[in-house]
Amino acid sequence: MISVKMVWRNLMRRPLRSVLTTLSITVAIGLICFLSTVITTLYSGIQNADNRRLAVMSAVGLFVELPIKYQAAIEKVPGVEMTTKFQWFGGYYRSQKNFFAQFAVDPATLFDMYPECRVPAEQREAFQRGRTSCLIGSALAKEFEWKVGDTIPIIGALNPHPDDRAWEFQVAGIYHSEVPNFDNRTMFFHWDYFEETLEAGGREPGVGVFSVRVAPGADVPRVIADVEQAFHDSEQRVDCQTEAEFQRQFVTMFGNLPLFVGWIGTGVLIAILMACINTMLMSLREQGAEIGILKALGFTDGATFGMLVVQSLVLCGLGGLIGIVLAWATQGAIGTALGTTFPGYTIQGVTYALAAAVTVGVGLVAGIVPAWRAANLRCVEALRETN
Amino acid sequence: MLIPLSYNLRSLFVRKSATFLTVLGIGATVAIVSGVLALQQGFASMFTAGGREDVAIFLRPGANSEGDSQFSRDRGLKLIKSIPEIAVSEEAGPLASMEAYLAVLLPPARGGVTNVPLRGVQPVTFEIRKEELHIVAGRKFTPGNDELIIGSRLVDRIQNCRLDDVIQLNKTPFRVVGVFEHEGQFGGEIWGDLDRLLAAMGRYGPNRVIAQMRPGTELGSVDPLEVMFEDDPPEPAEGTLAARLLKDTEVPAKVYTEKQYLASQTVFLSGALYFLGGLLMVIMGTAAIFTATNTMLSALAARTHEVGILLALGYRPVPIFFSFLFEALVLGLLGGLAGCLLAQPFNGVKAGTMNMQTFTEMAFAFRVTPVVLGIAISFSLMLGLLGGAWPAWRAARLKPTVALRQG
Repeated sequence: MISVKMVWRNLMRRPLRSVLTTLSITVAIGLICFLSTVITTLYSGIQNADNRRLAVMSAVGLFVELPIKYQAAIEKVPGVEMTTKFQWFGGYYRSQKNFFAQFAVDPATLFDMYPECRVPAEQREAFQRGRTSCLIGSALAKEFEWKVGDTIPIIGALNPHPDDRAWEFQVAGIYHSEVPNFDNRTMFFHWDYFEETLEAGGREPGVGVFSVRVAPGADVPRVIADVEQAFHDSEQRVDCQTEAEFQRQFVTMFGNLPLFVGWIGTGVLIAILMACINTMLMSLREQGAEIGILKALGFTDGATFGMLVVQSLVLCGLGGLIGIVLAWATQGAIGTALGTTFPGYTIQGVTYALAAAVTVGVGLVAGIVPAWRAANLRCVEALRETN
Repeated sequence: MLIPLSYNLRSLFVRKSATFLTVLGIGATVAIVSGVLALQQGFASMFTAGGREDVAIFLRPGANSEGDSQFSRDRGLKLIKSIPEIAVSEEAGPLASMEAYLAVLLPPARGGVTNVPLRGVQPVTFEIRKEELHIVAGRKFTPGNDELIIGSRLVDRIQNCRLDDVIQLNKTPFRVVGVFEHEGQFGGEIWGDLDRLLAAMGRYGPNRVIAQMRPGTELGSVDPLEVMFEDDPPEPAEGTLAARLLKDTEVPAKVYTEKQYLASQTVFLSGALYFLGGLLMVIMGTAAIFTATNTMLSALAARTHEVGILLALGYRPVPIFFSFLFEALVLGLLGGLAGCLLAQPFNGVKAGTMNMQTFTEMAFAFRVTPVVLGIAISFSLMLGLLGGAWPAWRAARLKPTVALRQG
């Protein structure tokens, strides 16, 4: 029988080596958790999409605006329950490094369309009342230390203010969403303020995206086809997609990024596997004579095999566990650091499972190689070995 | 007296499996770091290749990219007329062209949809770009026709981008009549006639004006990279062309050299890739250093007796320290070489990813440049050095009597 004590004593024979190996695994598993979360975050928008919500945009691309009058025409399509409009504002706060998304929205319908956007009732009413008021995400409020009542100047790079100055918005409320595809680093403000200001400068605003909710029981593919058909002969053709498809286009735009992340992960895996096998082979070399003694005492090949595998598993398990805890503990900080590029960085269950599987897998493989050698060692040969 | 270096090389050879595993471990680390740097190099070289000092980019004041910028056609023409510094060619007139730019949704070969940059240009553009842009298949588009030419990097990546294919833009079908090569960003774009594209999209004017300037023209513009990160950006100096245009009452404009402009459009993605490379260097480097330390400590444990003999023979601790350090450096170097070999297959691989600043997918290739290899080798030597320092120190501190008793 192999005892826990024996495994522990063997690991503590060279405490520095065990600590260094454990730390290598910690670092590697932490990194794998990070990489895996980058991927799951990228796809979270698709998975969390509401299948009754559609997005209508120009068939040419997101850069092309649709006329406002399209909204009424979309609402006439059978099966459409309600719509709301969004326009990308494309401004920044003080300098371009402080970039975040701003949208001109219709405050009356925004919350009906997106119940996941949670705001205290009184703040929501204040936002709906004030013409120049805005609603900011909780992450944004934290980052720039903005409070309700603050005035935020936003420089309109895409939509310059006709008076050649910054646009000003009063923070009326701070929203928070628990759903990853509605991120907390966005600012929403009144469509009317946007339209009136642009018109004062002789410009007519257009709409980037209409969000559409399909009535319960309506045939979604049918509604999509009808919406697209409705504008087939208008000045701008439209592309109508489910929310999931709409989100998917952003993922596709990241191109080969998921593949690269996979490559990096593979590299990390190879590196730690080599490190662990190396450590276990070193242990075996030092334990050679003792394994001979154990065998001479009547321990079976299986027992010596098991002893080395368990040593490896304990080493990797410890390292992996610390790595996972580390990844879990730092996710808030990493999420803040990633900001707008990767909103909603949260470690998913699948990542924990992957990290655990990699830990156990590396532990097993790194243990089996030397354990196989140990099990096949003939008692007399082993005894002859000295360190 | 120094210990012969062959002693260390033989030692590495004797402990084949440990050496091999360590080299492979360091190699994987170096390969990954090189891969990320090769990506950054490919991305950066694409932009520096296209960035000319003698070409000026004119944008609406306040706009930070051509996507933000907008001129009406008349104002674009007025702007060109108001700048005598623009070079003039005998056949083509002023070497200035208005350009429209937008992203169009197209299906990539791998499926889904992506945003591809589409540029409407005027014929004089080909005069300005005659050195750098080459038609490699088919011909140029004919002004006034619904025709497109495709950047060579898009041909296999995006559907419908081969000769004689048809791309539907809003309600107008455009025919692909040519493929062009450009080392810089244009090689990943689709080009067509400015007026036909504006009409098809229902847009009222170009986004920017570009011009080749007379030799020796100083624009005097402030580098956009300085402006982007400042709360109170510096203004161009009085008396310069940049200052004059900004204050122009008829058509105010912001001007950059093409080189400055391109650097500003890629600073975030380039920075993100450098950051990722640095992060991986630190994180995976730490793990690799631990592995190297383990290997060297184990080498020391196996050779403690030999170190005792060396000390007894009269070798001083300092040569012993350097002997072990040298061995660790060789280990690192071998890892670095393995890493460079592993990174070679990345070279030239075509890739695409989204540039958040322009919101379009950029097509470019990995480039394992000498810079990448240099960083990779230095990095691996550093790993060996840091991994070997502690074991070498321990070896140098051994007492001959204690060491001789071992093994």
